Amino acid sequence: MSKLTAKGIVKTYGKKDVLHGVDLELESGKIYGLIGRNGAGKTTLLSILTAQNPATRGTVELDGQPVWENPKVLEHFCFSRELSQTSTSGAAAMKVKEYLEIAATYFEHWDQATADRLIQEFGIEKKKRINKLSKGMVSMVTIVVALASKAEFTFLDEPVAGLDVIARERFYQLLLEEFTQTGRTFVISTHIIEEAADVFEEVIMLDEGQILLKENTQELLERAYHISGHEEEVDAATKELEVHHEEKLGRSKGVAVLLAPGQTLPQGYDVSVQKLSLQKLFVALCGEEHV
Amino acid sequence: MNEILTQEKSIYIQIREMIENDILRDILLEEERVPSTNELAKLYAINPATAAKGVNLLVDEGILYKKRGIGMFVAKGAKRQITEKRKKNFYEDYVKSLLAEAKSLGISRQELVEMIRQDGDR
Repeated sequence: MSKLTAKGIVKTYGKKDVLHGVDLELESGKIYGLIGRNGAGKTTLLSILTAQNPATRGTVELDGQPVWENPKVLEHFCFSRELSQTSTSGAAAMKVKEYLEIAATYFEHWDQATADRLIQEFGIEKKKRINKLSKGMVSMVTIVVALASKAEFTFLDEPVAGLDVIARERFYQLLLEEFTQTGRTFVISTHIIEEAADVFEEVIMLDEGQILLKENTQELLERAYHISGHEEEVDAATKELEVHHEEKLGRSKGVAVLLAPGQTLPQGYDVSVQKLSLQKLFVALCGEEHV
Repeated sequence: MNEILTQEKSIYIQIREMIENDILRDILLEEERVPSTNELAKLYAINPATAAKGVNLLVDEGILYKKRGIGMFVAKGAKRQITEKRKKNFYEDYVKSLLAEAKSLGISRQELVEMIRQDGDR
């Protein structure tokens, strides 16, 4: 089993700090979800982990080997970036066919049969330029590259952006198929949290350039509840608990609660207790101070 | 195995209950192979580790058993075991919440007993 370890990653663009001291350890053979608000630093983090962008400070290593400019390590990596639809230069100006040809030579373990099969299934027009495709089609191109790369560590940045719900479900199916067959590691950033939550073995929340949490998704959700009822009763029930995102309406109050590991819900209060979804928990944790 | 997952319970608990339901309804028979965690993962679009967690709970209880290299099977007596377990949990799972709701509505125990008796006569 391999381990990708990032230590003390700082990234500064000019005067702006995008990442402030990120420590992260990813084990092979898992599907990770990376979630965070716009501008939280997700893309920057993914590009640093895959050595496409140098960190201002800090190290990234795969099993003790530095990742930066290390072809032995990088042949196991694929970062399928979000492609710009509006750009008139670079990858966006290429035809799909040309982009895939470059990918085929770049990725050591490229599987042309997978690429061909997916291109056909998705109905991607290979002769079109990428910046002439619809947003959904552009996402599909990035998915084709990620899956066909057969890279042991594969990073996808917003793979489902612009995809309709049927295409998104198909993507998760394809992803799970590939994962169960190969055990490849996937790190996937997304804003569509609800439907992806069950696919992620672990979830990584990035907030303002820092890792807010990294945990097994199911175990995290087992600690997350919404408690509501009469304000006094809710306050009494949650006195000892970590409370987020209070909402009030008249005498009624609702709060999100994240229990500490091992902590149990207090009994005997006249309150409604409901489970929180990952999306609601994310809003409770990351949507608090600033909108 | 074709129920829909909901948000109200942990996914692996739901996987466990669905397999149990299928055993109770003779959709899965004793000594028969149950779908693999990979099959469950694909069907429900969930992580295989989560599916495995649900299946393993049933293995721990002796409702399913593992045949090395072949898969998971329904144990002999699984149906009876599930029924007994659910009977044992009936108070916690159903009666407790029923009594709490009755209490908040001011329904007396006697009224409650009467309702149950009438339903039996219907």
